[in-house]
Amino acid sequence: MSTKNQTQTYERFPVWRRIEHFTMLLSFSTLGLTGLPQKYPGSTMGVAVLNFLGGIENLRNIHHIAAIIMMFGTAWHILVMGYSVFVMHDKMSMLPSLQDAKDGLQALFYNIGFAKEYPKMGRYTFEEKMEYWAFVWGAGVMGATGFLMWNPVTATQYLPGELVPAAKAAHGGEAVLAVLAIIIWHMYGVHIKRFNKAMFTGQQTEAEMLHEHPLELAEIKAGTANRRPDAATIRKRQMIYFPIAAFLTLGMLAGIFGFINAEETALTTIEPLTESQIYVPQTPNP
Amino acid sequence: MRQIQSSRPRVLFRASLILLMGLFFFAYAVLSFPTSAQAAPVMQDEKPADDFCLACHQEEGLDFKLGKDVIAATINPTQFGNSVHAGEEVGCTDCHADISDYPHPKVKSKNARDFSFSLFVVCKDCHEDQFLKAQDSVHQKAIDEGNLNAAICTDCHNPHTQGRLTGQTSGELTPSARIHVPETCAQCHSGIYDAYKFSVHGNALIEEGNMDVPTCIDCHGVHNIQSPTTVSFRNTTPYLCAECHTDASIMDKYGISTNVLDSYVADFHGTTVKLFEEEFPGQPTNKPVCTDCHGVHNISKVSNPQTGVALKDNLLQKCQRCHPDATANFSAAWMSHYDPSPEHYPIVYAVNLFYKFFIPAVLGGMIFFVLTDIYRRIVNRIKGVKHA
Repeated sequence: MSTKNQTQTYERFPVWRRIEHFTMLLSFSTLGLTGLPQKYPGSTMGVAVLNFLGGIENLRNIHHIAAIIMMFGTAWHILVMGYSVFVMHDKMSMLPSLQDAKDGLQALFYNIGFAKEYPKMGRYTFEEKMEYWAFVWGAGVMGATGFLMWNPVTATQYLPGELVPAAKAAHGGEAVLAVLAIIIWHMYGVHIKRFNKAMFTGQQTEAEMLHEHPLELAEIKAGTANRRPDAATIRKRQMIYFPIAAFLTLGMLAGIFGFINAEETALTTIEPLTESQIYVPQTPNP
Repeated sequence: MRQIQSSRPRVLFRASLILLMGLFFFAYAVLSFPTSAQAAPVMQDEKPADDFCLACHQEEGLDFKLGKDVIAATINPTQFGNSVHAGEEVGCTDCHADISDYPHPKVKSKNARDFSFSLFVVCKDCHEDQFLKAQDSVHQKAIDEGNLNAAICTDCHNPHTQGRLTGQTSGELTPSARIHVPETCAQCHSGIYDAYKFSVHGNALIEEGNMDVPTCIDCHGVHNIQSPTTVSFRNTTPYLCAECHTDASIMDKYGISTNVLDSYVADFHGTTVKLFEEEFPGQPTNKPVCTDCHGVHNISKVSNPQTGVALKDNLLQKCQRCHPDATANFSAAWMSHYDPSPEHYPIVYAVNLFYKFFIPAVLGGMIFFVLTDIYRRIVNRIKGVKHA
């Protein structure tokens, strides 16, 4: 391995992508942590978390705030993806393809000794794509089921009541899946197998690129990677995209606002049951 | 002079003899007919028998006035004879210790209630356990706050007529005593009694003599009755009801589910209340407990057409107490103590089933891949092959 391979670096994640990741990391962890006592209320861990965070009502508030942060993160991600695709005309390198299935299978065969070569992959490996799309699926399920639980009165004006406990079941099941998938897949893939610091430094060395994303490196070297359009083209596309994005932003903000404020589900205080007077003697005082 | 001198000792002798005889007669009279006030000092260590008291006190209409109150001092000898006190040979003056003869010492109490308060402390002499428990009760608390209507021992247990309440060997409340418990409480809590007697519990007790249903004391306790309006009482309500409602030996007779506590705790409301009960028992929560949907003293069968919560409209009304904007579909969000199954709440059942297989399938696949990767790395290291 030459020293050039170690010193030559390529930008993998610009700073705003890293902030995006950090936002998701924080909100996801908070959601998982505050979700645990709600899914397993009697457990030792659950109770410990509960007491640490000041009780169930406080815990739910924190859970909701983390969810709001994740909603903003998602909205932001949609906007920048739109910019990337419609203005910059970047390759949609995160889209899954048949090649990913082939790569995955080849990697597995290589591991168990049925294939000689580990697959050579591009900007995003099948492992990364799997995780990204799992997150998209998870966010969709958690968002939809979360809405049902956050706003059951509104939801049941249009939907059967049974969907509320069904949403609770799905929210819990999906949460377990998501947290464990992160622990198994993400932990192993980017922390244990090799501590991949690209999401924090933004950079990868040529050696790392050669190792993990050889096809992307080849594209960069061949000059066929994402090429920045000229300024005039960008300006022209921006003129179209920005109004749409503004509209989309307003729509998403309204959506988030509605999510949070659709209803006052329950009265915070309930009247004590006063069915009758307490002291009602049958006969005058003896 | 001599005569006089000689007659003097004779007179003295006669006088002393008469005096002595008189004394003997007097002593005899005191022992047989203790009717004179002068006899009292002699009687200090002796107690008159109950018959002696009853000789006067069985007389009808033996009233005396205390302030504005008239106190009936008539004691029915048959009723007293049947009482547990008479049976255990506890006599009148064991409690009325200041009285040993007639006329009785003057009653210092200003009124009837005051009189009861001055006397009931004597119960402690024999019933210390119960007495001390009552000292910790909501009744005693009310008394301390100046509400003299609150019950003391004798309001529930008339000492002149109280029969045996517990089995002599078992120590358990006898069925006949059990049936009359609500009537005792009704003396002061008649409004609650009226609700209770038409409830599924009260009706079964009063009409059928059913021994499975709770009376007042099963939920409220006996002597150390605590306030049922406190937050901690409310937060522990599910466990109170569950004492019977998770007991299959009782519930199976009536075909009632014993899954009620588990299904409640598994749901949003129950989870919250459980956490409050365990972690912050004194803090109020707006989540409902059993009584918020089923009622308190007026609990009805869930199938009751007017009030039963198994009926959608009745349940919705309960929901709307806390969720005022709830519409028709909303009440189905509560799974009515059912475990989701293909018959009840099939969508929830399907979701659970999906994740039951989906989670292990996805995670199992991931773990399998990770393990093969670890295996390859180890093999490559042993062989000295650089990993791809």
